[in-house]
Amino acid sequence: MTSEQRTEAILRPLAHRPSRRYYIVLALALLGLLWYAQAWAFQLEHGMVVLGIGDWGSGGGIPWGLYVGSFIWWVGIAHGGIIVSAAVRLFNLSTYKPVARIAELLTLIALSVAALYIVIHLGRPDRVVTSMLPAWPTTIRTSPLAWDVTVITLYFVLTATYLALTIRADISAVRSRLPRQLGPLYSLLLIGYTPEEHEKVERMAWWLALAVIILAPLFLHGGVIPWLFALLPGQPAWFGAAQGPQFLTIALSSALGSVIIVAYIFRRVYGWEDLLPDNVFSGLSRWLALFALLFLWLQLQKIITGISIAPESIYGATKSTIEEPLYWLAVGMVAAALAWFGLQMLNPSLFTVERTVAAATLPVIATLIEKFLFVIEGLMHPVFSLYRGVPGYYTPSWIELSSVIGAFSLVTLFFLVVSRVIPLIEVEVSHHEP
Amino acid sequence: MNSSIGDEGPEYQPLSADNVFDAAWEARARKALDVSGWDSGLAIAAARDALAVVAGDLSEDEFQARHHGAYLREFGVDLRPGGEGLSTPAADAPAGPAPLDPPAAAITGEDAAAGSTAPGRRDHAAVSRRTALGLAGGGIATVLVGDLIGFGAPGQAISVDDPTPAQDQGHAPAGEHTSSHRKVRMGMVMDLEKCDGCLMCVGACKQAYSLPDGVFWIYVLSFKEPDRPDDVNLLVRTCQHCVNAPCVKVCPTGARHRRDDGLVLTDYDVCFGCRYCQVACPYGVNYFGWDAPKKGAGFIGERKDERGKSVIGAPPRGVMGKCIFDPQRQDSPKHHGSTHCQMACPMGVIHFGDLNDPESEPNRYLRQRIADSGGKLSTFHLLDDLGTKPNVIYIGHQPSRHARPTDPPTRYEDWGMVDERRTVLEGPEPWFKRVFSR
Ligand code: SF4
Repeated sequence: MTSEQRTEAILRPLAHRPSRRYYIVLALALLGLLWYAQAWAFQLEHGMVVLGIGDWGSGGGIPWGLYVGSFIWWVGIAHGGIIVSAAVRLFNLSTYKPVARIAELLTLIALSVAALYIVIHLGRPDRVVTSMLPAWPTTIRTSPLAWDVTVITLYFVLTATYLALTIRADISAVRSRLPRQLGPLYSLLLIGYTPEEHEKVERMAWWLALAVIILAPLFLHGGVIPWLFALLPGQPAWFGAAQGPQFLTIALSSALGSVIIVAYIFRRVYGWEDLLPDNVFSGLSRWLALFALLFLWLQLQKIITGISIAPESIYGATKSTIEEPLYWLAVGMVAAALAWFGLQMLNPSLFTVERTVAAATLPVIATLIEKFLFVIEGLMHPVFSLYRGVPGYYTPSWIELSSVIGAFSLVTLFFLVVSRVIPLIEVEVSHHEP
Repeated sequence: MNSSIGDEGPEYQPLSADNVFDAAWEARARKALDVSGWDSGLAIAAARDALAVVAGDLSEDEFQARHHGAYLREFGVDLRPGGEGLSTPAADAPAGPAPLDPPAAAITGEDAAAGSTAPGRRDHAAVSRRTALGLAGGGIATVLVGDLIGFGAPGQAISVDDPTPAQDQGHAPAGEHTSSHRKVRMGMVMDLEKCDGCLMCVGACKQAYSLPDGVFWIYVLSFKEPDRPDDVNLLVRTCQHCVNAPCVKVCPTGARHRRDDGLVLTDYDVCFGCRYCQVACPYGVNYFGWDAPKKGAGFIGERKDERGKSVIGAPPRGVMGKCIFDPQRQDSPKHHGSTHCQMACPMGVIHFGDLNDPESEPNRYLRQRIADSGGKLSTFHLLDDLGTKPNVIYIGHQPSRHARPTDPPTRYEDWGMVDERRTVLEGPEPWFKRVFSR
């Protein structure tokens, strides 16, 4: 593949008029968004009473539900996505370079979805800025939710900067072949650009990647996000030091799975078999297998310590986890994916990209189920044993379920649009290749 | 959805002096009141009279007259509206709607008088009366609302100073103790051994703050221990107003805060309803504003405490609420050191005051109980090992890890209350269901 052929392939989504299929998907995504928009309007109009959640304790409800579960799931995808991209740069994993930008974009949109989940979860979303900002200097000392919002904001800025920096060389190189209507946007992205900045930008991007690789696993998805739950002594299913590693393995499993899925869709649609070759998928699936294994291992830790000679409250929480069929569905899906990837490694003739993608979908769905269960189970089995007379129950309402449709629609819409604005794969590399 | 208990219509069990205040009750009450040094005869008579009013056997005016006289003799207080006495402090002027109607003013006033004379020991009588009124009569429900929109309404006069324990000690009332040499820490001593589970405290609190169905800022749990299956134990659960409150720590807006006098409150103007406090509290004391109150059922009293923060009454839609230890009472020199639930309890279970003051009523009560028991009194903090440092001290049987809920002596339904809130949290039908069902 010559450099010119490669550039042509990368610019395919930008150079051609959208197909009919594109418009159909666009319409579906818009419809999905619209559907959730009216659902949220209904929630705003009538109050949170229209959701399935309720008061914990004598009220017999669960105050956090699908919204919070989805929030941590999307944050997980965001973190895993950027970890992939940062690792590519730091450790020079050139095989995965073609998916780096897709992973970064996934991070940006997944973070946005997570932030939106926080907003729709609030009883008074109109106060989100006015209530949080003035109190921030105080709340940042003790409130995990204040930590979360802070670190997620920081993280969003890092990722966006990273993307903006690394995209400049690309845009400048192929500027003449990009859609003319978007000229002002490209001019904005290229403010002050000189070809000599390349080396400096590379170094900045390297440092940003380093910041991300330290921040994301250690303090974000292995830190402030699990601490939201792990620091609460009243809920034995949440409390404890194991949540950090557990959250991290879940995040990385779901993120690698999502990167595989998104990359595959683009490969199919734009005929990018050469740009995103098979070895990218087999390589990513091997990493996914590793994190799926760690996921299962940590679940084992939790169950063994929770049912052997555990204190009563922990025992109760663990027991109900293992009595929950949905939990075993989630664990089973991860185990099935792991088994398939293992077989594939032993017998490479079994490998096809399609099978890999199908197997990678399992942990993505399984982790969403796991997150959902994690949130509500923590609240169902409190230390305060007298509330066992009113065990909380929760069924997501149609509005909460609609939010899942809305979130996926938003992500789809984002990729539909962004694929027509910037090159999804780095063009720049081609210049350095012989 | 308002749960003001009198509104429940046909399901409501009519009260009468015969079925509520039976001989057994009287014996228990007398015992409790004797401990407190209060005129138990007067207390019991007043409680009976209150029920007579509810049953329609006694007019409110007659009730007033009797009542005034008795209390005047007991306390030397003139409670007649417009009578002589101190004028109303500006801070206490009503900011809410219409002035109190006469019976409301009178009852509120008496209450205040009783409180002013002997906080803590006083209100058993005053309160069983007022609670009965509150619980039973929709028409008399204004009593407590009146109480909330302003202590010392115009035309109401109190003729004694307010020797609350805090002032005895030379302390300013809560909220003004910045210069005080010792930190005030309001809390409760809860004598579960005296509790008979009548739910009077629950009703008084709900009434006072217009709490919706299924919302219990004070809640009575009944439980059994496996090794003593015949004993029904009771646990009166308020907010524990913890020194080391998890809810305050986790709140990302600072809405949940601890006031100078130790009251843990939510600023309704700041809270954005993330419900983190609710999941962080091990005691399950938070009740969210899932819904706006039904027309005419919302809290209409003054929301602001003396610092000007909106912390009083059932929370508006979208923000969090819980037991508040009546900040408006603690702000008022006349009512400092008392709460609605405490005054409502006919058994003398609840003792409220400054736990940092060795001479406060709860501390004196606790000492007395310990002395009377020969030092063998069982006291505990709820879930002490979680490190929350609660400000409610319980006397009685501590629920073990094996304790299991059981049928209560008085069911919430008996008073027309909804126990499990989840059963009444129903939103309107979505439009598409309506369209399709046509
Ligand atoms: S619900 Fe309100 S008071 Fe509770 S933690 Fe959230 S912002 Fe704070």
